[in-house]
Amino acid sequence: MREVAIVGGGATKAGKREATWRDLVQEAGKQMFESVDNISPNDIEGLLVGAAQPERFVFQAHVAPMIAEYLGIIPKKVIARTELMCGSGQAAIRYAWACIASGMVDLAVAFGVEKMFMPDMAEAQTNMTCVLDREWDGINGLSAPPFFAMTAQRHMLKYGTTKEQMARVSVKNHHYSSMNPLAQFQKEITVEHVLKSPIVAPPLNLFDCSGITDGAAGIVLAPAEDAKKYTDTPMYIIGGGQANVGNAINNLASVTEWVPLKMAVDETLRTAKITIDDIDIAELHDCFTISEIMEYEAFGWCKKGEGGEFIEDGEPYIGGRVAVNPRGGLLGCGHPLGATAILQTIDILQQVRGEVPKGRLVDGAEVAVAHNLSGAANVHSIIAYSRSLR
Amino acid sequence: MSEVKDEKMKRQETIKLPYMLDFYPLEDEKNTRISSFFKNLKQGRLTTTKCKRCGKLLWPPRIVCPGCLSNELEWIDLGSEGELHAFTEMRLGAPLGFVEDLPFCIGIVKIGGLYLSTRIDDATYQDLRIGMKVQLKMIRLDDGRVFYRFTPSS
Repeated sequence: MREVAIVGGGATKAGKREATWRDLVQEAGKQMFESVDNISPNDIEGLLVGAAQPERFVFQAHVAPMIAEYLGIIPKKVIARTELMCGSGQAAIRYAWACIASGMVDLAVAFGVEKMFMPDMAEAQTNMTCVLDREWDGINGLSAPPFFAMTAQRHMLKYGTTKEQMARVSVKNHHYSSMNPLAQFQKEITVEHVLKSPIVAPPLNLFDCSGITDGAAGIVLAPAEDAKKYTDTPMYIIGGGQANVGNAINNLASVTEWVPLKMAVDETLRTAKITIDDIDIAELHDCFTISEIMEYEAFGWCKKGEGGEFIEDGEPYIGGRVAVNPRGGLLGCGHPLGATAILQTIDILQQVRGEVPKGRLVDGAEVAVAHNLSGAANVHSIIAYSRSLR
Repeated sequence: MSEVKDEKMKRQETIKLPYMLDFYPLEDEKNTRISSFFKNLKQGRLTTTKCKRCGKLLWPPRIVCPGCLSNELEWIDLGSEGELHAFTEMRLGAPLGFVEDLPFCIGIVKIGGLYLSTRIDDATYQDLRIGMKVQLKMIRLDDGRVFYRFTPSS
């Protein structure tokens, strides 16, 4: 198996964009190709596209060839869309990684795009209810906010986690997104802002939830031995893990303990040959504030049930135990489903290159992880990156 | 320069709720092999499948046991009273078809050894408590299709 590098990447600004799905694709494609040297679209042999629900958001299927057409790519080895809802972008990276590691492909693009703003937002919410089992869970109006609200309710009951602790996650991530020009939300907020924002589904207020977002992003992957042909500063994939337990609510391992996340973390540490103490940056999937709290616990930076105290003590800030979401997270940057994992990866690349603003720079960062969850947190996907091959 | 014709086009703006936006499944035996679930529900019975070979209790109802691949499954009753395990109330961001229902309660109910997500009717968020008893109820659409919900036990 060959080692694989990320050699460049580019993205659109995320948010409520006055642009079509096709516009977003072209904006991100231009940024991506301009970020690498000696690569023209015609050199790309494999294209993997993370797109969660283009059929419902923009009434378009078979999107990978459309992206190839718009970006001038003529894939000669592999082309496909990789759907894993909120983990779709990471699925694209994962398949591109496997294609290059196996020797099947020499240059690949992992692309992600979602256009989520629709003229009637109730229609967008309808789309989100077919993420869970639509005939047994979605039928009850169970989309992401009520599911994570019940997760938070059980976590609060069992461990004493408070709404204020949850709010602090959003405050931290908005602090960092205020320094991110690509972010959907670029204003600092306070705990009071979160607690006084409209209630979506108790105990979750609006600022406990990541946004509806338009955005696109792409990265270029190459074999590690060729990476320096395309950039002076590549970043390497050093490991990863992915696990799924169950799908319908009844078949989840637990609501308050994400068993598949623990499995994915263990596999990541094993394959990357690292411990959690080696991780300098963690881009964690903070679709809701409670998610990030449960992720501190599952990675093991704090004991189970102590995620609330972990954020209260400032440990996930830069300079604390581990820098969590110095990009601004999904809470601050928005969550354009298929593009989210690609956006996380581009930010990590810019971090190890020292290209992000000083206030959110993790100085000298060596190892980073990017994590996504999808569905009822029944799927967890992690990739570990490093500035050097280990 | 010849004039370009500018013609008005009438588009139908109101349509019947399309299948792809209908949350409720087609329940009869022409469309599903678990139509017994809905037939039982119409008689007030909440049921699911259990594997006759390995004894595994299956939810959602199946036609094949994922544990032993047997297709000899039997319908068993889950009872009509459960316990509220978790709940919330949708206040913002409801999907099409549910917007008129806002606010509405959603819960996870423990019943017959299963954890089912469900609407909790006839209650507000303030009325609900974790651990409280909830009673099975049935809703019937205009076209006769049915689904289960729960309501606080009196």
